[in-house]
Amino acid sequence: MALSCLTRALRSLTVSQPALLSSEAVAQTKLRNHVPITLGQCRGFLTTAPLEQNRTYWKQREKYTIRPIGMKKTGGRDHTGKIRTHGIGGGHKQKYRWIDFQRLRYESGKEAQPFEEKVVEVRYDPCRSADIALVAGGNRKRWIIATEKMQAGDIIKTSAVIGRMAVAANDGDAYPLGALSVGTLVNNLEIQPGKGAEYIRAAGTSGVLLRKVNGTAIVQLPSKQQVQVLDTCMVTVGRVSNVDHNKEIIGKAGRNRWLGIRPSSGLWQRKGGWAGRKIKPLPPMKSYINLPSLSTV
Amino acid sequence: MAAPLFSPSVLLKDLSRLSAHRGAIRPKARRCFSVSRGLTARVPAARKPREKVEIPGLDRITYGERMHYVPGLAKPVYPKWEKDYKDPAHYTSPPAHEMPLYKEKPCYVFNQRTSILEGVCQALWLTKTQLISGLPPQLLALAANPANQIPDQDERVQNAIKHARFWNTTEERPGKRQYSNTLLMNLLHLCATLQCSHPAIGRRISSEKYSLAATWKRGEDLFQIRGQNGLLHNCMDPLPAASGKQEVADTVDHVLESFYPVSPTIDLQKVHVYKEQMNSTGFRGDFPYPHAHTLYLQEDADAQCKLKPEQFRAKMVMFSFGNALARAHMLYGMQPQRVLDTPITVQAVGTNGRIFQFMVFQLNTTDLSGDDGVKNQVWLEKDIELYDFAKVRPLIKKKQVKVPAGLAGYKPETFSKFLALYLNGAV
Repeated sequence: MALSCLTRALRSLTVSQPALLSSEAVAQTKLRNHVPITLGQCRGFLTTAPLEQNRTYWKQREKYTIRPIGMKKTGGRDHTGKIRTHGIGGGHKQKYRWIDFQRLRYESGKEAQPFEEKVVEVRYDPCRSADIALVAGGNRKRWIIATEKMQAGDIIKTSAVIGRMAVAANDGDAYPLGALSVGTLVNNLEIQPGKGAEYIRAAGTSGVLLRKVNGTAIVQLPSKQQVQVLDTCMVTVGRVSNVDHNKEIIGKAGRNRWLGIRPSSGLWQRKGGWAGRKIKPLPPMKSYINLPSLSTV
Repeated sequence: MAAPLFSPSVLLKDLSRLSAHRGAIRPKARRCFSVSRGLTARVPAARKPREKVEIPGLDRITYGERMHYVPGLAKPVYPKWEKDYKDPAHYTSPPAHEMPLYKEKPCYVFNQRTSILEGVCQALWLTKTQLISGLPPQLLALAANPANQIPDQDERVQNAIKHARFWNTTEERPGKRQYSNTLLMNLLHLCATLQCSHPAIGRRISSEKYSLAATWKRGEDLFQIRGQNGLLHNCMDPLPAASGKQEVADTVDHVLESFYPVSPTIDLQKVHVYKEQMNSTGFRGDFPYPHAHTLYLQEDADAQCKLKPEQFRAKMVMFSFGNALARAHMLYGMQPQRVLDTPITVQAVGTNGRIFQFMVFQLNTTDLSGDDGVKNQVWLEKDIELYDFAKVRPLIKKKQVKVPAGLAGYKPETFSKFLALYLNGAV
């Protein structure tokens, strides 16, 4: 740093002095008394231009669309070009389908009424392990995560009403946790009401609604951890589709490359505490109750 | 350090930037080779936008008259430059709500690229139409009559298919768009050879690239059909109605099929800028061939937009309805009529080069607001094959020829239906 300071000082000595003294500069600066012209600070020049690294313009969209969006591969690099995640790169080109995780998204003009939607299509999605379903209702279409028994032609229901009685829910319907009976298999769990599903979205997973305690509900996640959330959080009933995902056989190293996963480094490392079976107590229940609500954030 | 070299009038900001280049320097603007690599990789912190202070009565000194940037002087603000001539290449449209045709009430527009989700069912709801599968009996009788056949019909049709699929190219095989278009033209040419025995065929003309526009109200919503579609046969005389008065009156009892969770307006384009009473058949009023006879549509006509068969049939229904409605509005005025005195009939033929869809649409009413009352009628015969295979190379599986090269499985009754639709009105 000291060196750079010194060079900078020297540079200003050599370059700025004649510029200030020159008659041109004086004539130019008649209006304002003596302004240093740009020569006063040497700007240097760049021999290379920094490239735009891994910009995410493809995913910054205002309006929802069901069209597949062309995706740019990052190769595990972040926007500065540094490797953020190792072992990513290559693979088949994929297109992104915008999933609407907020199941309780009312159509404009029809707020606060339970609504139904028809499943148009259930298909594979390259960007996630679960299958996705195209649902149409009213004037709009959207992609959602498909549940196990969802088929084209089914009618699925979404409601925000928490009644006194637990509802008899069909597979694929979405309700608040408070409206469901204890012991229901659920997926696509919200942790804050209105934020959109964040838990239990992978293929073949499901959580269990364990109990409901005055305004909150306790759900067991697929990892057997229990979380406590408000009972207005929306969930989808049933199990996420593509149940046999864990039985798929990769078969060869090359298929992992097709999926965009690169081999691990191959450096020999001594097995430490991470290897072998561990017996741990269950982590304590995680509570999402006292978080500030979305409106105040 | 470098500060005393400058005169006192050096701005404070410049001073601070010069003397304290520890953290304040932006990495890209000033590059020090000793440290640059570390700096350029770092994420530049988001800069706070500077407050702009406006003092009334004081002008900012700008670097405008120097014509180059000077640090410390304000950026000049110029009035927006506009060309003094009209340049259509750089036209920017005003926002939608400032356009003169802007209306609060939306209009749902169907055009030739619209793919409606529910297919024919939705098209039937939009046009308030009863679906009857199969062609009307008088057309079938026309097809069966040997007097209406072309001499050497089967051979000539097969030659037309072979021309379209094999002979009309210097490549190995023609593309789908090419052969479907050629086949349609060949078949129409074949049909036109009957003019000597049926002189009324001469009272027709075919037209392409005409723009259709028709408006109607269904329920509370306003709908429009816009756009260019297919090849239209116009005729001097109207087509005879496909069903009698009694059958038209019977359609009152028909209940339209619903597709409940989906709204009927799904996938239609919702616009706010439109003309309210838009109605045009695409031809001038004194056109000598005012009556739409048959609409020939091709599945692959538009490379940008590929419709599935169900959506393609829906498009056939919608456009033949649009043609009939535009004509009815011209004849009877824009006011909805509960029952038309003489129903307007329009035929449509869809093809993809092998499979044909035949349709006869009869417009009985232009009062489409409610679900009650007289409905329109459509006769639809779908997915009829003209031939099974037309192979340039034989299909061989396990060293056995499954399908020989050349034309196989020609079905003569398909062409006789095509001919019947063509002759309808000329016999």
